[in-house]
Order: sequence, then C-alpha cells, then structure tokens
Amino acid sequence: MKCEVCLELLDEYFDGEVAAETREQIDAHVMTCSECSASFATLTAEQEMFARYDRELEVPPFLWTRVAAHTVSESIAATPDWRSRLAALFARPLAAVVAVLLFAIAMGLVYVVSRRQPATPKMAQAPQQRPIDPPKNVDKQPAPTSENEVQKREVLATAPKLRPRLRPTTTSLDQSDVLSSDVGYLDMDDRDTAKHIEQTQNLLRSIKNVTISDSDDEIDVTYDKELSRRLLNENVVLRRDAEMKAKFPTKTLLADLEPLLIDIANLPDHARAEDVRVIKERVQKTEIVAALVDYQDRGTIIVKE
Amino acid sequence: MKRLTVDELNLDAQPGAFAGTLMNSSADLVTRVCQGDAEAFRLIFDRYSRPVISFIYDMVNDRALAEELTQETFVRAFRGMHTMRSETKLSTWLFGIARNVARESLRARARAHRHVDLADRSVMDLSDNKPVPVDGLLSKELNELIRRSLAALDEDKRLVFTLKVLHQCSYEEIATITGFSLAKLKTDLHRARAEMRKRISPYAGVGYEV
Repeated sequence: MKCEVCLELLDEYFDGEVAAETREQIDAHVMTCSECSASFATLTAEQEMFARYDRELEVPPFLWTRVAAHTVSESIAATPDWRSRLAALFARPLAAVVAVLLFAIAMGLVYVVSRRQPATPKMAQAPQQRPIDPPKNVDKQPAPTSENEVQKREVLATAPKLRPRLRPTTTSLDQSDVLSSDVGYLDMDDRDTAKHIEQTQNLLRSIKNVTISDSDDEIDVTYDKELSRRLLNENVVLRRDAEMKAKFPTKTLLADLEPLLIDIANLPDHARAEDVRVIKERVQKTEIVAALVDYQDRGTIIVKE
Repeated sequence: MKRLTVDELNLDAQPGAFAGTLMNSSADLVTRVCQGDAEAFRLIFDRYSRPVISFIYDMVNDRALAEELTQETFVRAFRGMHTMRSETKLSTWLFGIARNVARESLRARARAHRHVDLADRSVMDLSDNKPVPVDGLLSKELNELIRRSLAALDEDKRLVFTLKVLHQCSYEEIATITGFSLAKLKTDLHRARAEMRKRISPYAGVGYEV
C-alpha cells in the first residue's frame, strides 16, 4: 500500500470504519512506514486529549421538573372527558353539521320504527316506569288494632312523602380548572402513601407531645428512632415515586418530612434532652403535623367520594 | 453525633424500590412511555439528559441555552415517541431531535446577529505563544481551548466532529442523525479534524504537520 492511499484512509481506519481486508493492509503498512505511523500516533494523541475535555456541565435538577411540566404532567391533565370531547367536536363546523344530521336521521328512524310496532300493553311497562312509588295498595295492611294506631296511620298518610334515594348522590369532581400538579392528590388512593403519612403523623405527634422536664438528662427514644429509620426509607422511595409521576404536592410534603425523620433517626437510643427538645420545637414551629392532617383529609374526601 | 445521609440508608428492603431500573432496555422504556408510563420517561431522561445536554452545548456553546434546548428536545421526544421506528436506536433518535433543535436555535441566532464571529481569535492569546506539551496545559485551559476551537468550526463540521470524536457515534449513526451522505460526513470530519489540529497543536504540542 502506498502512503497516499494509507493517509487518505487513515481517519476511517482510526475510527474503525474500514473493511477487514483494508484494515489488514493498513495494519501492515503502518507497521513499516514511519510517516504513516506518526500520523496514526497523532490521531491517537488527539483522541486522548479530546477524551479529557470536560465541559464542566451538569444537568440541573430543575430541568426534569420543567420537562415533566410540559410532558408527563400535561398529558395527565389533558386527558379529555366526554364533555370536552363533545365540545371539541362542535368546535369544528363541518363535524357539527354532520353530527346534527346523523342525530336527526337516527331520531327519524326511531320514530318510524315505533309507529310500526303494535302497542304494547301498558301493564307490562308499569313497574319499570314507577319503581320507587310507595305502595298504594293499603288494603293488604293488617287492620288497626286500636284507636292510637288508626291516628298514627292518619298522621303518616298526611305527612309529606320523602322520595327514597335509589343510590347516594355523588359529587362530581370537576378537574378542568385544577392545576396538573394537583392530580397528585388522587394518589391518596395509593394506600402505601396514605399509610405512610398516617404513621409519620403518629411519630411526629409523639415527639411533639413528649414532656421534657428540667431534671431530665436523657430520654429513651429507641422506639421512635427505629420507627423513624423505617419511615425514612419509605419516605425516600415514595418521594422519588411521587416525583417521577409528577405528583408534586405529595413530593413536596414528603420532602419536608425528610429532614425531621433524618434527625430523629440519627438520635442515640438515649438522646440528650436538649436534642429532643430541639426536634420537638421544630415539629411545633413547622406545623408539619397540621400539614399532614390537612393532606390526609383531602385524600380521604376524594377516596370516600 | 454521627449523621446518616439518605444514601447510607439501606433501600434494599423496599420492595420494588428501584428494581429493574438499570435493566430496562431503551426499547422497553419507549414502549412503556407510549403506554402512558411517566416513570419510564423519567428513566429515559435520567439516562440520556447528560449526553444530550453535552451535545447541544458543543453545538451552541452557551450553557443556559443548552439547558433550554435540552428541555425542548425532551418535550419533542415525548410528544413524538409513538412515531419512533422500532429499529432506530433511542440515543440516535434523541440526538437527531437535539440536532434539529440546536440547528433551529443557531439559525435564529444567526439571523439576529449576522456576522458574529464564533471563531474568537482570543483563543490564540491563551498562553505566551510558545507550544506547550499537552500535559503542560492545565485542564481548565485545555477545556477552554477545545471549547473555543469547536465554536470556530462551521456548523456541519462541528456537528460531525462532535458526534464522532466527542460522542463516539459510528458513521452510520452520524448519517442517520444528520441526514448527510457518507461521503459528505467523511469529508467534513477529515476537515474538522485538520482545523482542530491547526488551532490546538501550537498549544497542545500535538506535532502534526497540516
């Protein structure tokens, strides 16, 4: 192989992009030619130098938050309900005209078919039409045994009749004006998070309510400490999970819990009274227990409904 | 009092905490994203945000803009993931989007500032004008030298040089990302290497006659 050919192919050879046969020829040439060998060494030295290039560039933590706000959170919030689909349909004039025509044709067909059908006996329809009417056949009632009972029945008969509910009314949750991040509250049907919040609330309540007298040097917090460690592990997992699923209220609340749980988990079994007092005051000052209760209440309302 | 950090705490006991995070193939993640799995998209972001932001930074030479364009890249990727062909590598596909996003930004910037000379000649005043062996350059100086030399390349050459030399893409991948023919990318790459050598060798002591 000539040097000109070798130098022409040297970049591709260096990049591992030549065929096996060509590679063998260049291998053999570079072994014997000092000029081509030097060129190859230069390419190697340059590659090593560029491999050391450090842009001193980090992916900032807020970048995911921004991306999530435009992607995963948006897609959760933008899932259309039947009302918005219908509204979207009627937003396009042509589609609206077609929809109205189809509806008119369907109604016409129903009318024609119903006229051709023989009249059905009304008795057969009666139970379906009035399923919740109170029974009118009072003849089957047992005869009154005393005057008091007669009066009682008269009072009941004249009293306004309450319409029985076939099913409990449900409050529809209109999410259309809710920020996408608020979808996170629906996570309260995630029992793990709900249970975790409840247990953490109990732990923090016990810290908040601990009585520390001036004579106390040490306080036994073995149980609280162990519980805190376990809850801290859970908290980290649930917080990351909430963050990944863009459930920001849940994530924020869990993130607020973490420093407290870490401090309790770091206490020795017999903690100095002063250390416990500091944590207790922080629990009181940050009103974290109230925030947990509030969060739990919101979740409970939604789950019940 | 010794303080435990969160990372020191054992998460192994948590069922499914991070199980399979590292074992998820890119194809699986793409499928899961198409099925509406937000967590899978987060994993894709975690895996590819660093190379994508580096690549964009190499192209636009502006840190804040690189962050903004990385965000745009992942937003476009999320919205178009269902259009990704199964035989395409996720990294190649993401680099393709990043390349388009960076190119649009460069075009807009070029329109706004015509005749801005990216080839800042102050790079040549980096040292005392004497060739210094590469080991003699402080890493900070070397980084600055490479950054400015890259910025001085024209866009196509910077693109192929960045993808090949800094991101180790194959010629086939580069052709897919850029849409260039193999002949063009080889020529651009060769010229880009020669230009970089010309700019850097006086300071880095890479003895190569151009």
